[in-house]
Amino acid sequence: MTKLLIPLVVLIAAALGLFMLDEPQEPADFVFINRGDVTTLDLSRMSWMQDLRVAGALWETLVQNDVFDQAYAPQPAAAERWEVSPDGRTYTFYLRPGAKWTNGQPVKAEHFVYAWRRGMLPELAGDYITLFQAVKNGRAFTQRRLDETARFAQEGRGRPRPDEARALWQASAAWFDSHVGVRARGDFVLELELEQPIPYLLDALSLELFAPLYPPLLERYTSVDPVTAQVRVDAGWTKPGVLVSNGGYRLSGWRFKRDMRIDKSEHYWNAAALPTRSILMPSINDPNAQVLAFQTGGVDWVSDVIPDYRAEMLDRKRRYHERFADTLGRARAAGVTDPVALDRLLPPHPDLNIHAFPAFGTFYYNFNCNERFADGRPNPFRDRRVRKAFALALNKQNIADNVRRLGEPVARTLVPPGSLGGYAVPEGLPCAPDPGAIAEARRLLAQAGFPDGKGLPEIEILITSDGWYSKAAQASAKDWQSNLGARVIVREKEVKVFRDDLKNANYMISRGGWYGDFGDATTFLDLMLSYDGNNDRKYNDPDYDAMMARARAQTDPAQRLRILEAAERKIIEDDLPLIPVFHYSQVFLFDPHTVSGISPHPRQKSNMLLLARLGPGQKGLEMNRGAQTGGGAAQGAPRGVPGAGQ
Amino acid sequence: MTRRILGRLAQLPLVLLVIYTLTLILAWAVPGNPLDRPEGRRPPAEVIEALQRRYNLDSFWGFYGSYLYSATGAKWAVEELDGTAQDRRARFEADGLAPPPARVFDLGPSLGYRDWSVNDVLAGALPVSMLIGATAIAMALVLGVLAGVIGAVRPNGVIDGLTLMVALVGVSLPTFVIGTVLLILFPVWLGLGAVGRWGSPVDVLLPSLTLSLPFAAYIARLTRLSMVEVLWADYVRTARAKGVTETGVVMRHALKNAFLPVLSYLGPATALAMTGSFVIERVFSVPGLGQHFVEAVRNKDLFLIIGVVLVFSTMLIVFNLIVDVLYGWFDPRIEG
Repeated sequence: MTKLLIPLVVLIAAALGLFMLDEPQEPADFVFINRGDVTTLDLSRMSWMQDLRVAGALWETLVQNDVFDQAYAPQPAAAERWEVSPDGRTYTFYLRPGAKWTNGQPVKAEHFVYAWRRGMLPELAGDYITLFQAVKNGRAFTQRRLDETARFAQEGRGRPRPDEARALWQASAAWFDSHVGVRARGDFVLELELEQPIPYLLDALSLELFAPLYPPLLERYTSVDPVTAQVRVDAGWTKPGVLVSNGGYRLSGWRFKRDMRIDKSEHYWNAAALPTRSILMPSINDPNAQVLAFQTGGVDWVSDVIPDYRAEMLDRKRRYHERFADTLGRARAAGVTDPVALDRLLPPHPDLNIHAFPAFGTFYYNFNCNERFADGRPNPFRDRRVRKAFALALNKQNIADNVRRLGEPVARTLVPPGSLGGYAVPEGLPCAPDPGAIAEARRLLAQAGFPDGKGLPEIEILITSDGWYSKAAQASAKDWQSNLGARVIVREKEVKVFRDDLKNANYMISRGGWYGDFGDATTFLDLMLSYDGNNDRKYNDPDYDAMMARARAQTDPAQRLRILEAAERKIIEDDLPLIPVFHYSQVFLFDPHTVSGISPHPRQKSNMLLLARLGPGQKGLEMNRGAQTGGGAAQGAPRGVPGAGQ
Repeated sequence: MTRRILGRLAQLPLVLLVIYTLTLILAWAVPGNPLDRPEGRRPPAEVIEALQRRYNLDSFWGFYGSYLYSATGAKWAVEELDGTAQDRRARFEADGLAPPPARVFDLGPSLGYRDWSVNDVLAGALPVSMLIGATAIAMALVLGVLAGVIGAVRPNGVIDGLTLMVALVGVSLPTFVIGTVLLILFPVWLGLGAVGRWGSPVDVLLPSLTLSLPFAAYIARLTRLSMVEVLWADYVRTARAKGVTETGVVMRHALKNAFLPVLSYLGPATALAMTGSFVIERVFSVPGLGQHFVEAVRNKDLFLIIGVVLVFSTMLIVFNLIVDVLYGWFDPRIEG
């Protein structure tokens, strides 16, 4: 009998032992569920929104957008002021002499230069390398380094040559210092010399990727591979207790797939203005569990609400709003536009906690614009009339209302309207069920040689096998079938395979979507350049490339915007390499009465330094009204000195 | 006995080498580029090219060899002997920093989570999964054996029917249903425990219970089946004839033999339970190993795929070995 208990005793002892291994986490001031697990804290390789969001708390860039300002104007951050040369090609940034790293050392201009060089190294860089390359000789540096290391590896034939490899790296670094347009002038002055003027440079520089790095830390984790001469960085430097950053928070805990914790950095120059001492980001990946975690308390903000029933939650909120139509009407008449500020006027209620804010992104369908499909058959979509016919015959409202069900606006344009100051989006095309649009679509299709869809091959819509794409594609297939007479089927593929197919133009129509990175129309329009790495459509129009080149060369900002508007009009009204379907919303869960700092601006960037749990009597931040008075903690969060610089 | 154990352990590296080779061939054949992101931006060709070279993804044999070199500990041994490792440690110590840990078996970086090595990932997830697995198997053992014995003592009675039904439900209901029901019942309605938190004993119980049910059901059926057989055996009749009480017969004489099939099932069951479950980890937000079996393949994260497969294989072999040892100890007939 006792023998029988042995396995049980062993198992229980093992469980107890393993349990003791674990150390519990102390509570934090603010808890939120990030959009997904952070994949990397290595700035040069970041790409995901959740990574950038955390980076924004840990690091500080030269300038930072004011996310509660409709104009989204860049404000001083790590730089206290800056100057731009008359030709728009040289920027001089004056850093704050008092700014410090989390270890108390001063932040210097050379640290920015170091980060910049790293961002351009082909072996360390990531998806945004082209942004770094905007400085003078940036592209040349990357190419040179790539060629040199390839040659080195070839010559060595697998033989390790540590001294030569290091010498090569030192030579590359020296070339960078003498040729590339990023320079430190003294400890606190940083100069950027551009290949050509970039009107949106300041906005782009507020991307977290352009934060400085602390070279003494990075150097310890850097080695030069003796066989390939490539620079390698051990990821150990991004771990808690090791990482040194210059932002409002320091990394105090990161347990893989479990949680990440950041605490206020005492060395931050504006630490006194931070409303929150510690932020915890538990890793909860199941969409339903995320909502349950919020509802059972303990989570202040869910930053990406995905379960299907979110549409019903938004419906309930709409009904709750209807009950207070008078209050809301009066407030709107008085000029309150911020949706969170409006929510705060109503009595607290669980139905109020869901929010759908417009996002800086658009869902669209790609057309393969090549002459032939990957299998060699002639491609009907090489003809813009066919593409336009398909665009006109698609019932976008149906997808927005019945598939997505989030109240997202139907898209006629690629750039979400109202997201960019000074840029007027073109009008775009009408679409089904408008009878005029359908008639025009049928006429164009007949003109292209496919009357009533006769002669068209069976059209395939390529999608990934996750989420709502299948429903949207089925609805679209039905539209094209009934309105144009085309035979349309839906093909689902696993996401990695899908990406490969897109890259190799092995599709006919595919789902697509893009979120803008910085405040300029080119963040969307560059996708259509014939040579752009993300041109999945293989759209190749010399006129369009020329227009975009003209815009780049244009020094008058207003004139430049007019050219870009014309370029977008060409894309969405005439050539249609893609069909814009709707502009994304971002769905959040947070209690408007107890949480502040989440911006409803369509650019949808969060400034983590503003996040706060409101105490009794404290007022939250709201759009366009600047920092709120009253309620000490949430006040005057770090937005630099308004009006300085420029 | 000792010789047999040593012999089995000596086979381990060979078995793992075969498994590694097969896994790599399969994982290599999966379409898609591991360095590509599933959404959004695509890095320029030069970045991809440099990374391919960095991780040896440009050649199968290059990868095959370099992975073996570092995973078997050969790289560690070479660096310790030729002074590279000492140099590195000295460099860190000169800066007053703790040197990065030197890993004997370096399973490589994770391609999906670039800041983590596969060793980090496993070191974080494995204890959690083993904790849940051990608790679950313990629960399954108690529940299953009890239900099986009760059912066998009165075969085809009401209680037997009930346990059969519960066992059937336990086997057939998917864990995401049971898990979600438990989640809504305990934390949401009754306020016991929390959703999406991991760390206190209560947080261990619900996922373990969910994980244990299918195992418990299987153990119950196994126990009942062999128990019913054993209860008709000659030696049990003898025991009864000698006047041993019914409880004594069941507990002391019958169960000991009836337990053997359960014991042999425990080996693979423990290995399976301890390497985590994707569904349960997702439902209860448990930072365990199971998710990596799925996500690693989805990300085409070669290093992580091979890492988790090797861990699972090792555990399977080791637990089967332990069960074999226990088996011999339980049943002297098998000694040899």
